[in-house]
Amino acid sequence: MASNRAARLAQLNGTVPEWGAVTHVETAPFGNRLKLERFRLKNGLEILACEDRSAPVVAYHTWFRVGSRHERIGKTGLAHLFEHLMFNEVEGRASGEFDRLLEEAGAESNASTWLDWTQYNIAIPKDKLGLVIGLEAERMSRLVLREPQVTSEKEVVANERRFRVDDDVEGSVSELLWATAFEKHAYRWPTIGWMKDIEGFTTDDCAEFYRTYYAPNNATVIVVGDYVESALLEKLARAYGVVAPSSLPVEDYRAEPPQTTERRLEVKKPTPTEKVAIGYHAPALGDFDHLGLSLLVDVLFGGRASRMHQSLVRKQELAVDVRASVGPFRDPGLFEIFASAREGHHAEQLLTAIDKELARACEEPVTNEELERARARTELGLIAGLETVEGKASTIGFYETVLGRPAAAFERLDAIRRLGPSDLLRAARRYFIDTARSIVFVRAELAGSAQKAAE
Amino acid sequence: MSQAHIAAGADPNFLVETSHDLPLVSVTVALRMGALEDPPGGEGSVRLLGRLMRRSAGGRSAEQNDALVEGIGAALGADVTQSTVSFQGSVITRSLDRFGEFLVDALARPALPEDELMRLKRETLAELTETLDDDRSLARRWFRKRIFAGHPYGRSAGGTKAGVEHATIDTLRTLYRRLVVPENLVIALAGDVTADRAARFASDLASALSHGAPLVDRTPDPTMRPGRHLVLVDKPERTQTQIIVGGLGSHPSDPDHFPLSVANTAFGGTFTARLMQEVRVKRGWSYGAYSSLPYDRRRQAFSMWTFPKGADAAPCLALELDMLEKLRAKGLTKAELAWSKRYLVRSHAFAIDTAAKRVGLKLDATLYELPAGYYENYTENLRAVTLEQANSALRERLSDENLLIALVGTESSVGDGVRAAVPRLASSEIVPYDTE
Repeated sequence: MASNRAARLAQLNGTVPEWGAVTHVETAPFGNRLKLERFRLKNGLEILACEDRSAPVVAYHTWFRVGSRHERIGKTGLAHLFEHLMFNEVEGRASGEFDRLLEEAGAESNASTWLDWTQYNIAIPKDKLGLVIGLEAERMSRLVLREPQVTSEKEVVANERRFRVDDDVEGSVSELLWATAFEKHAYRWPTIGWMKDIEGFTTDDCAEFYRTYYAPNNATVIVVGDYVESALLEKLARAYGVVAPSSLPVEDYRAEPPQTTERRLEVKKPTPTEKVAIGYHAPALGDFDHLGLSLLVDVLFGGRASRMHQSLVRKQELAVDVRASVGPFRDPGLFEIFASAREGHHAEQLLTAIDKELARACEEPVTNEELERARARTELGLIAGLETVEGKASTIGFYETVLGRPAAAFERLDAIRRLGPSDLLRAARRYFIDTARSIVFVRAELAGSAQKAAE
Repeated sequence: MSQAHIAAGADPNFLVETSHDLPLVSVTVALRMGALEDPPGGEGSVRLLGRLMRRSAGGRSAEQNDALVEGIGAALGADVTQSTVSFQGSVITRSLDRFGEFLVDALARPALPEDELMRLKRETLAELTETLDDDRSLARRWFRKRIFAGHPYGRSAGGTKAGVEHATIDTLRTLYRRLVVPENLVIALAGDVTADRAARFASDLASALSHGAPLVDRTPDPTMRPGRHLVLVDKPERTQTQIIVGGLGSHPSDPDHFPLSVANTAFGGTFTARLMQEVRVKRGWSYGAYSSLPYDRRRQAFSMWTFPKGADAAPCLALELDMLEKLRAKGLTKAELAWSKRYLVRSHAFAIDTAAKRVGLKLDATLYELPAGYYENYTENLRAVTLEQANSALRERLSDENLLIALVGTESSVGDGVRAAVPRLASSEIVPYDTE
């Protein structure tokens, strides 16, 4: 197989454009049944291919190593706006043709942007994979940016912001929490951007961003599904081989100084009940403690059997809902808690009850039964996320882009079997530090309205 | 259904799709009736029953049951619609037996204790308050409430505060005896399970239940109040509005069901459809702009959904109404029809690309009593649609005169503009957002 591939690549590389020469880098397992093949083009484009013939479809993802962390003050939200603009127009094609061609082929396509990355995903019946490769290679290098489209798309993004943040209590509180918890690091501004910045973008801003970050040496293409490797590589080499690499800028990284005092804020929102959001500084995804903290957070907050649900929702009947997550980011992010009070209860009561359980987690180790449950929930979540080719491509793309290890989901699954109560106790004591947390209390402007509804 | 052995394919109430790609099994145990069985004044009772069955499975406490399900690597929820109750779960293969035992306990041996019901009612009431934070769900609720006013489809499957407070343990136990009988059960498994193993799983479950009478859906077809009606749900401090506009839609047994589906896709089913192009791409007025044509056992609603900022609400609504009128009057173009058919036929690959999705379609066909061969002949039926059929379906099935408009926004800033934007508005009402 390896020598056949080498011979095929040698033959192919004699016929491809300037930047299209393909190198096979490595083969790695992806779970028990599948393999990941890593290739690299001469222009630096990484390719991760995973053959999966369970259905006659293919998922095609392009992950760019640029997210909102690469923006600067006054230009926040540019990475996300740009994600929208990538669907507009490329040279030689009419505006909107990209989407029309894909939909006509039966494709499902979308994109997303977060702190560390931007990704574009297309799922397509296998016979149209060539179309997708051609279109994606085109928009990586020949996007057309015009004033009317930029203006219209800014308004669309402003509306998305109103939907997800301004008119959404949890969205707006989360944004405030991050802006409070971070003072220096670029994680302090929201991926969707501040409204004033969204309104102020120019076409030139967008063009500069495109030239700077949308280059083959800043991207990974992930292909999962029913394809023939030799045909796939030939199409990729020909389509992307005409795209030159860029000189990528050095990131203006600002380390977040340690937080030494608790930060508290209080806001009023048009909601019938009080809420509280709490953010503790948490390790980066690649940190050894990230997994231990994630498992601990699952013991405390994951599912109806968790300590917090049992205490706040069932026993004390203080909360409607309480949940938490540990940010999966390249740099240290937040362990974020959000709880919503029942009528007649206050955010401070939620905080007191949460604090009690966090203190207990720092004092005594979790039980083996709790740890087993968190392991089982984590395993189920991972497996369920791999049912479709889309799910597999997302998992590969995410771990490749954030950690540089595309099969890291399985590494984490192996690792959680090795972690014990000591690892979780250490995570609790290292990260549940009150002086390193920020709290947003939400006062209910519409308190009492729900009671009126019942009358 | 309650025979000792159920064979895949032999019993329409047992469905299985095998795929050994992942060590995961999806399990759905569905009842053929849902919130339509809520007693008068007791909206939300069937949902309470579903949740209480899961919590009190096998006579254990809710804490014990939650720990049991989550501890074996399973997830299970009880989903209630008007026409169905679905216990939907997934489980890591190694725990399939224990998950099956749990489901037998939940379906056949729930204790249904009164103290847990009281706790569940308090929890549900708090959740209903919490839904007031979600403008989109408020718009949906009021659209459904008004378009199906006086019809069972206008009631909330999730329940109302009055309905939840009204529920008693006796009501729920009576409901349990009526609903949870083998005659009303459909069991579907997909994934890492053989047909034989799945059949044993289904047999164990069905044979544990007491027999009863099969429930028959006698819900009448909904009718539409003539004229254009607006319900403005007034909520403070909204920067944006949520707008749903629609009328009666389709039924799977309509001879023009597939032509109307093709037409709806061209109008508002995708990103390049007319609605998205006009509202979002050309004007930037709303992040999303879609139309939908869902099905149920009786005729459901056709609707358009947008969410423009307050200042754009009136022009956006006027545009939508104008587009609907033009759609009915002029129909689709030949190119739109061809494009829509190709999209629907080819994208069907993603409705059947996993075992769970394939069994899900079969389950829908059974639960919603779809015409024979609905999904088996799905792509052929789409391919056969002609331009004349699609445009005729638009004229016959959709109305631009009998419409319900549900809008969530701040009345003082958008009310006058919105009312003025609707020609021939027959009625307009303002309801505070926290009205039941």
